[in-house]
Amino acid sequence: MSNLEPNEPHVGVYICHCGGNISDVIDVKRVATELGLHPNVVISREFPFMCSDAGQKLVIEDIRSGKINRVVIAACSPMLHELTFRKTLQRAALNPFLYEHVNIREQASWVHKGDHEGATQKAIRLARAGVEKILLQDELEEIQAKATKHVLVIGGGPAGLKAALNMAARNLRVTLVEKSSRLGGHLHELDTLYPSGESASALLAKLLAQVNESPLITVVVGTTVTAWDGFVGNFTATLSSGATVNAGAVIMATGYDHVIPAGGEYNYGGDPRVTTLPKLIEHLKTSAGKPLVWNGVPVKSVAFIHCVGSRQTEGVHAPQADGKVNDYCSRVCCTAALHSINVLKARQPDLDIYDLYRDIRTYGRGHEAIYEQASKNGVLFFRFTEDAQPEIREHTVVVKDILTWGEEVEIPADLVVLVTGIKQGAVGELIDMMKLPVSSDRFLQEAHPKLRPVEVANNGFFLAGNCQAPMDLVESSAAAGAAASKIAALLSKDYIPLDPYVARIDSEKCTGCEACIPECSYTGALFMNEGTKKAEVNAALCKGCGACVAVCAPRALDLAGWSIAQMEAMVDAMVTEVPA
Amino acid sequence: MSTVESPDTNAPKILIITTIASSYTGANTVGQARAQYAPNTYIMRVPDPVMFPEDFYLRCFEKGFSGIIIMSSGSDCPYEGAYGRLSARVGRVYLTMREKGIPTNRLKLTTVCTVCKHAFLKEIDDMQKVVREQAA
Ligand SMILES: Cc1cc2nc3c(=O)[nH]c(=O)nc-3n(C[C@H](O)[C@H](O)[C@H](O)COP(=O)(O)OP(=O)(O)OC[C@H]3O[C@@H](n4cnc5c(N)ncnc54)[C@H](O)[C@@H]3O)c2cc1C
Ligand code: SF4
Ligand code: SF4
Ligand code: SF4
Repeated sequence: MSNLEPNEPHVGVYICHCGGNISDVIDVKRVATELGLHPNVVISREFPFMCSDAGQKLVIEDIRSGKINRVVIAACSPMLHELTFRKTLQRAALNPFLYEHVNIREQASWVHKGDHEGATQKAIRLARAGVEKILLQDELEEIQAKATKHVLVIGGGPAGLKAALNMAARNLRVTLVEKSSRLGGHLHELDTLYPSGESASALLAKLLAQVNESPLITVVVGTTVTAWDGFVGNFTATLSSGATVNAGAVIMATGYDHVIPAGGEYNYGGDPRVTTLPKLIEHLKTSAGKPLVWNGVPVKSVAFIHCVGSRQTEGVHAPQADGKVNDYCSRVCCTAALHSINVLKARQPDLDIYDLYRDIRTYGRGHEAIYEQASKNGVLFFRFTEDAQPEIREHTVVVKDILTWGEEVEIPADLVVLVTGIKQGAVGELIDMMKLPVSSDRFLQEAHPKLRPVEVANNGFFLAGNCQAPMDLVESSAAAGAAASKIAALLSKDYIPLDPYVARIDSEKCTGCEACIPECSYTGALFMNEGTKKAEVNAALCKGCGACVAVCAPRALDLAGWSIAQMEAMVDAMVTEVPA
Repeated sequence: MSTVESPDTNAPKILIITTIASSYTGANTVGQARAQYAPNTYIMRVPDPVMFPEDFYLRCFEKGFSGIIIMSSGSDCPYEGAYGRLSARVGRVYLTMREKGIPTNRLKLTTVCTVCKHAFLKEIDDMQKVVREQAA
């Protein structure tokens, strides 16, 4: 029988064997026994598989019996099963946030296989820390934000068009804002497309017809977003026309810009024989089927040079405007170059083509066949290293070819095609206005590359296409589809449930010192109430970063679910001795 | 269950502060690879270590942690401005540590991503050396 008052926390602790994954290393019985000694722990069990139906039923029955009102499960990583067990609590009509998940598998049994005693002691301490944390946990409630069932898509390239169509297919209204005078983005510049061989113009015409036919899509061209306000479920965008759009979510589909070779790089700009891959493709598009003529001169030999403006190294390449080099791979250019080579060879089989590369990255489905075809077409490949760039001479290109052990080879070239990379478009103003995270390569950053690949950490923002990273049409289209289905799920109900892990303020303790205000990077999330002279949080705008918490001397501010008091209690539990 | 290899419950302890977005997953990746490290390491998961006031770290030392590794998400941090604020904050903790005569190498701010197995293990290795030297 417990000596606890009914309103005190009664904790149930469950130690999972994970079918031996945990119990082969950690003495789970001893962990359960030790935890059972804690004054607030009224049930402490171990069980073969806590995530199984039987394991969850055990928890539900214990809750329903009225013996426990808090749950700690020591098992695998919370990233796998935190949500599973929250739902278990919900099924037993207990607040799902009165649950703490302790990782004793990935961060204990699997990494301390040779030290069973050490791993067991660690598991005891970690489980105790979980108990201490949950003792200080309140019944958190999901935050509910109104869901405006209208989506703003910024950028009318192929990714934006696909995103808009995907959302209209899910019955969502869409406003598609395009900065230039026409929809289609870089699809306008492309000729036949790899890997399908389809015509870019035909694909664009198909997409535009579908967009025009949809009564749910409103297109505004020659327009940008000039002001931004609101939060997930209820954003307001002001357009350059002065109109406003109210949207529940937004898809960034602003695409890319071509890298222009730095002044004088490979004589670009000075030597008329030197051009870029996008310019060659444009030429191919307007000279269908004809042999290659450049500046009025028939071309007999072409040299392609890969990785121009991509995979740059500090000290070797001139930095970009922000002082950093483009150290990333632009991904699409290898295949695009080899595809153009095959198009040229099909038109003009006697054309001599030399391909100077650092690595060939034909990574996508069907791309390797394009490389093989280029080899079969008699293209000669030379491989150079970043510190020995090919040199452009009057009618030739000189390359130190590492495939022939560094031999210097002089290649005839009537035309030199620089296989230029791609970079983030000019979206600095949007980034500042919307406070979007940017990764070190300047592209927009997803919340998590594997777990949340099309979502931005800022709630309600999604990514499609090349504004996130270099990608081809197949990948851009897949990202657009993924973003659209994420949004369809987000806006499916009248309210959007938000994680309750946001800053909150105990106004009794707040002295109005304002120290927290400059710590917050998100406009409107944290502000001073002019009437009460106390700080206040707008839960829908707060990102839960905790930056403000650290500076609040009277500890009026805390992150719900992650309070400093909870973290301190965990620390104390982690250093408390365990009987050997 | 029989083996009792390290009955030393007083081994110097290392607190590892990880981020949900990055290094906590990195620690899981190390586990999935079954890479091995010593169990005197306690991983704490937070949205971002920028939340901790400076005295939090000093309190951890007082309570008994011998070393602290803050594994932040660095420039990949999803929270705007958080990394800059965190490093400034840790810089101020170092000043206080110096004033109090606490060796500053007992606190390390570093960056670990979701797949940084080697970086994760190296940071632990380095801190193990520091805490062992302290204990000696
Ligand atoms: C040389 C080259 C050849 C290629 N060949 C192929 C190929 O054969 N097959 C293939 O699959 N892929 C190919 N690609 C890749 C392909 O171009 C992209 O995958 C595709 O264009 C991606 O579309 P997107 O919508 O992301 O970007 P974009 O095509 O760049 O479209 C972005 C749109 O957003 C608009 N925009 C930008 N900023 C704003 C703003 N602030 N407000 C409103 N609108 C804005 C732009 O005006 C543009 O219309 C190639 C790429 C290159 C560089
Ligand atoms: S795709 Fe090829 S050409 Fe483009 S940057 Fe990568 S390796 Fe270089
Ligand atoms: S720092 Fe704390 S006390 Fe000062 S205004 Fe902010 S919440 Fe109030
Ligand atoms: S937790 Fe972060 S986003 Fe929220 S109010 Fe504090 S500083 Fe702003």
